[in-house]
Amino acid sequence: MFRFDRRLLHNFDWCMLGIVLVIAALGLVNLYSSSYIGNGAGSTVFYKQLYFFITGFIIIFAIISVDYSYLLKLNYPLYTLVIFLLLLSLFSGGRVAGAQRWINLGFFNLQPSEPAKLMLVITLASYYFRKDSGNGFSFKEMLAPIGLFLLPFILIYKQPDLGTALMLGAIFVSMTLFINLRRSTIIILSLLCIIVAAVGWKYMLKPYQRQRVETFFNQESDPQKSGYQIRQSKIAVGSGLMLGKGYLKGTQGHLHFLPERHTDFAFSVWAEEWGFAGSLFFLVCYFFMILWGVNIGISSRDKFGMLLAFGIVCLIFWQATINLLMVMGFLPVVGIPLPLFSYGGSSLLTTMAGLGILINIKMRRFQGNK
Amino acid sequence: MQYIRPNLGRIKRIDEEELYRLKKLSDILTGVIVFFIAILIARLWFLQIHNGDKYARLAENNRVRVLDIVAPRGNILDRYGKLIVATRPSFNVVWTKEDSPDQDLILKRMSKILGEDATVLLQRIRSAVDNPRHIPVRLKEDIDWKTLAYLENNHFELPGISVVAAPTRDYLFGDLASHLLGYLGEVNQEELKEKRWENYQSGEQLGKTGIEKYYEESLRGEKGTEYLEVNAYGFEQRRLQGLEPLSGNDLSLTIDRDLQEAAEQAMSGRAGAVVVMEVNTGRLLVLASCPPLPLEKFIGGISAKNWKDLNESLLYPLMNKPIVGQYPPGSTYKIVTALAGLQENVINPNTVFYCSGSLAFGNRVYGCWKKGGHGAISLHRAIAESCDVYFYQVGQKVGVDRLAKYANEFGLGMKTGIELDYEKAGLIPTSEWKRRVKKEEWQKGETLNIAIGQGFDQVTPLQLCRLTATLANGGVRYRPQLIEKINDPDGKLLAAFSPVEEGRIAGKTYYLELIRQGMVAAVNDAHGTGKAASLRGVGITVAGKTGTAQVVKLAQSKNMPVAAIPYKYRDHAWFTCFAPAEKPEIAVTVLIEHGGHGGSAAAPVAKAVLEVYFKINVEAVQQAGPDVSNPAAEQAVGD
Repeated sequence: MFRFDRRLLHNFDWCMLGIVLVIAALGLVNLYSSSYIGNGAGSTVFYKQLYFFITGFIIIFAIISVDYSYLLKLNYPLYTLVIFLLLLSLFSGGRVAGAQRWINLGFFNLQPSEPAKLMLVITLASYYFRKDSGNGFSFKEMLAPIGLFLLPFILIYKQPDLGTALMLGAIFVSMTLFINLRRSTIIILSLLCIIVAAVGWKYMLKPYQRQRVETFFNQESDPQKSGYQIRQSKIAVGSGLMLGKGYLKGTQGHLHFLPERHTDFAFSVWAEEWGFAGSLFFLVCYFFMILWGVNIGISSRDKFGMLLAFGIVCLIFWQATINLLMVMGFLPVVGIPLPLFSYGGSSLLTTMAGLGILINIKMRRFQGNK
Repeated sequence: MQYIRPNLGRIKRIDEEELYRLKKLSDILTGVIVFFIAILIARLWFLQIHNGDKYARLAENNRVRVLDIVAPRGNILDRYGKLIVATRPSFNVVWTKEDSPDQDLILKRMSKILGEDATVLLQRIRSAVDNPRHIPVRLKEDIDWKTLAYLENNHFELPGISVVAAPTRDYLFGDLASHLLGYLGEVNQEELKEKRWENYQSGEQLGKTGIEKYYEESLRGEKGTEYLEVNAYGFEQRRLQGLEPLSGNDLSLTIDRDLQEAAEQAMSGRAGAVVVMEVNTGRLLVLASCPPLPLEKFIGGISAKNWKDLNESLLYPLMNKPIVGQYPPGSTYKIVTALAGLQENVINPNTVFYCSGSLAFGNRVYGCWKKGGHGAISLHRAIAESCDVYFYQVGQKVGVDRLAKYANEFGLGMKTGIELDYEKAGLIPTSEWKRRVKKEEWQKGETLNIAIGQGFDQVTPLQLCRLTATLANGGVRYRPQLIEKINDPDGKLLAAFSPVEEGRIAGKTYYLELIRQGMVAAVNDAHGTGKAASLRGVGITVAGKTGTAQVVKLAQSKNMPVAAIPYKYRDHAWFTCFAPAEKPEIAVTVLIEHGGHGGSAAAPVAKAVLEVYFKINVEAVQQAGPDVSNPAAEQAVGD
């Protein structure tokens, strides 16, 4: 059953693995700077992230050694496990900045909302693949995926982590657009979306969340509080100019003007130290990876692989875009990391697992054709 | 063994239609991704290239705080180069809003530590409300060592609070010449609107009054800058090189420190003014206003209570009396009336009037201060004994407008042009003035009051001193001079000032001599009114004139002993003199508010000043009699 097929090696996506390696390396280089404390050695944060990367590559190789179609069998057990972890973090989790997001596993604080994103992609891909009758999805058929999405959404929203919760929403909407919906279903879902958005703004947002959005549109009103982070981030990015201030020489980061500089605002540090040229290089690498992911989706000849690939691409793409727009002052502060680049084990391992699945799909694209 | 894919049989091949749909969707997805790449790159370009300079500047400001270093103010010295006011280091407590934005907490903690009322601190913070957040707000100046030690020890528990060293004024002689020197204070919001202070930032000190204000630009120096690199917690990372502050220039006054001290000592406990002027140059040796201002209390802002006390005192310590105080000149004005009479040929030295103790004019009786009358009296005795009736007659014959002309020649009724703010011009009435201001015709009887320096007449002690100097030097009117020279901190001379002649008394100088002789008699004759100022004992001839300025015309207070009259109704006492009479050097004018009679109250003060000027050792005189080894005295005796 696990006989090594030479075609797998032949079809192995060295390109994807290479680009992931490059971005991960850039992330580590940047983390070394953003967590630098001036003693010539890397900080604990840096070494932790290094171990996460090594673990991440082990996970990639573990994932590609098993056909991704096993996920069709594993999706509900995985789903249940993640929901369980979310509940666990909600009731016994450690608090970070007033939110219960963590589960202490001893060696590592797991943030279950991160694997929840990937799990949602897998679950939706499995469901849409299985239930596809060829005649388009009816609204009734859509109730199950809505439920599957809402359960983790509510649990994450309760933490509260609105950013991640909305990210689940983005994944759900993106993936649903890929399937064949009946016209009536589209109309009902659109109306539902509008109502939910309106009600959500009024009742679901907590005052500080609403304030974040409001200060985003009126940034000068309170430069020290909500607008402060965005302002400092814009200063960091902008002051990088063409070639940057030089590695380890960024003042915004090193003088602690930047908040969350090795997690959500990691790119600010990069842009400050490497300038427009370095930022452009990073964006080219990063979006090459994303577009390569799209390519993997198209080249897959089976629909499950395709849905899975598009879902994973959307997952990385939306997080990256939202993070970068936030860092550059186009969006309010939402706790969305830049996948692969920001510090954080849960996010990193989840992303690498997702990339492992992509490589897996690419490797096995011809197997269904035999 | 063949590898078997589970559960995939149904879609081994995606049908063409489905594949086409998915390809189209993936093209859309690619489009969306490319669209966002474009937005991100455009945004990046906008931030880093298009607006990069702006953000680079913001980043620079972020980490580097530009702090001003206050320059040490220039010293103020006396005419002999002796220090009066210097600069010493002090420690101020400042709060940087950006580092600890919780204002209430700061107020609560700091008012306890500094022992200041929270409202006082709040006032400070409010006045600096327009400052950028990273500019420190000064909470208290010149803290003592104990507070300093406490703040340094608890540095880490008091984020945003720091102690900075700054130069502050060192008043070496306490309150000496306080009005003349003036005090410093923080520039206020109104001042910031003025053109003169447009380069000042709130929180900065400037001269509020006196020389400190008038010569602010010279004394101030140039502030330096310091670049402080900090992190977001406000903790100093390192200091970068900046601009060294430049000390202010040293100001040498014409004032004689010892003489000023003697004058203020002689006045102690009383309200009034002493002015001493070099008769041949117009340089001021003394410009004293009593009681003095407590200059030390003004450092770091005077407390509301102290200010209230100063403001409500009957001695008016806030008023710079020699130039702002306007008083009727009383009998000292008879100098003007006498000159007017002589010049206008109304009288000559031999003209005799009869003083019966009063003069009936119109339907009123105008009394002489000497009830029994002076009998037949001519100019010399009239000045010496200050006969009112004699000068009623002269004044009435000269008329108000011609009197005013001579008063103006002496510089009365106009500002002297001294280099201090708020100087008053006094008032010398004319018939035209009364028509214009009072909308009434001049009454002949009023001229009689004017002639003896009562009624509308108002002069400042400085004006009267200059009048005396002008009389003494033969009729040259100099502008009062306060500043001798300005030197830069290295001692290089920047400016030196010479006497400025403003005018001369027209007509015969002989007439002036006649008046001077009358004044010599006033001090030295047996019946003279100013005997209390006589230095005949040590061979110096003083020439002077007493004056008593009525405050209110209260019939019941007439001829009452001075002590029996309530303070504020007592007359002002004047004495103005010059010495030595034969070859005048200085003019001394003393005013004592509500001091009673000029001869008894003011003349002894003038004498005390003259004694110091002529370096007469008072105790030695009392023991050894007139035989004193004093060059000036010997010269005077020789005459």
